Amino acid sequence: MDELELLKKDWNKGDTAYPKLSYDDIYKMIVKKSSSIVKWIFIISLLEFAFWIGLSFILKGTSYSDKMEELNIDHILIPITIISYGILIYFFYLFYKNYRSISVTDSSKALMESIIKTRKTVKYYVIFNLATLVIGASIGAFYSFNHNPDFSNNLELATANGEVFKFYAVIIMVTLLILALAIGVLLLFYWLIYGILLKRLNRNYKELKKLEV
Amino acid sequence: MNKELEHSFVELLEKHQNIVHKVCRLYTNNYDAHNDLFQEITIQLWKAYPKFRGDAKFSTWMYRVGLNTAITLYRKSKRTINTQDYAGVEFKIKAEDYDDTEEEQLKVLYKAVHQLNDIEKALVFLYLEDKDYREISETLGISEVNARVKMNRIKNKLRTILNP
Repeated sequence: MDELELLKKDWNKGDTAYPKLSYDDIYKMIVKKSSSIVKWIFIISLLEFAFWIGLSFILKGTSYSDKMEELNIDHILIPITIISYGILIYFFYLFYKNYRSISVTDSSKALMESIIKTRKTVKYYVIFNLATLVIGASIGAFYSFNHNPDFSNNLELATANGEVFKFYAVIIMVTLLILALAIGVLLLFYWLIYGILLKRLNRNYKELKKLEV
Repeated sequence: MNKELEHSFVELLEKHQNIVHKVCRLYTNNYDAHNDLFQEITIQLWKAYPKFRGDAKFSTWMYRVGLNTAITLYRKSKRTINTQDYAGVEFKIKAEDYDDTEEEQLKVLYKAVHQLNDIEKALVFLYLEDKDYREISETLGISEVNARVKMNRIKNKLRTILNP
């Protein structure tokens, strides 16, 4: 006999073997809180959005922003601020739309895809912010090369000592190192959170995709 | 209104609770995990219930939500302690059907099914529940042909485990 047929015979015979929960038992369960990954993804994503918004507010009150004001570049800064908020709203809209479309009554594959899509929206937002950070740092470095009096004094000193190349090399290396460190920490953080949270989903999604080949 | 909804839902689930127990049986190894998954599936069913229109059978709808919770949404709770493996303890075959070789075979079979991956378990589950390939393919979101091919592979896999 087919192995599964044997199992099937037993499977349907065992209906009385399961615990029988009462009306009250089940009633108590529906008021409890879910601990599904969708809920966690939603919470973590909101925190990520909050982190980047918070970061821009924190930067506003620092000497860095005072220096930026001294540079008199409002005509550049204001449009950039408006655009970045526009982008944030767009990402948030996408995120919310995708989140709403997650439905547990879809087919397994469709459900997994909508969760992955929600996740990707936030991932792209983070990548966008990291890219902005890198470009911003580069522009900042370029500006200080040209406009910062401290910098030109040091440069003159280095020129007098014949160490121009070393001077530039050190600055560029330090900037790159700090950026790499910051990005590394962020990536590690993501890898840890989502590696754990989405391990099962990713594995099962791969398995389903494999069936299609 | 809400109370009415709650009442109808709890009543339906009470009647069909075996479906959820069966999902838990395949996807967990001990009582704590079984209860934990049962709880999560119940919450997901309840959350989705307002959208349940009754154009599908309640049980069919439950298969979908139950399996989706087990293979996608559920995070294994940390408080699962390794209690005894219940495959051999709780679900004993009734005395009158006792057949030494058959019982032994079933034991090995259940063990083998537990070794399958989440997706394979889902296929086996729907197969054991007597679902046709159309319903299996719709529940998982794969094509009917692929469901059939995969099912045959699983059968072979189980056969190898059973008759090495």
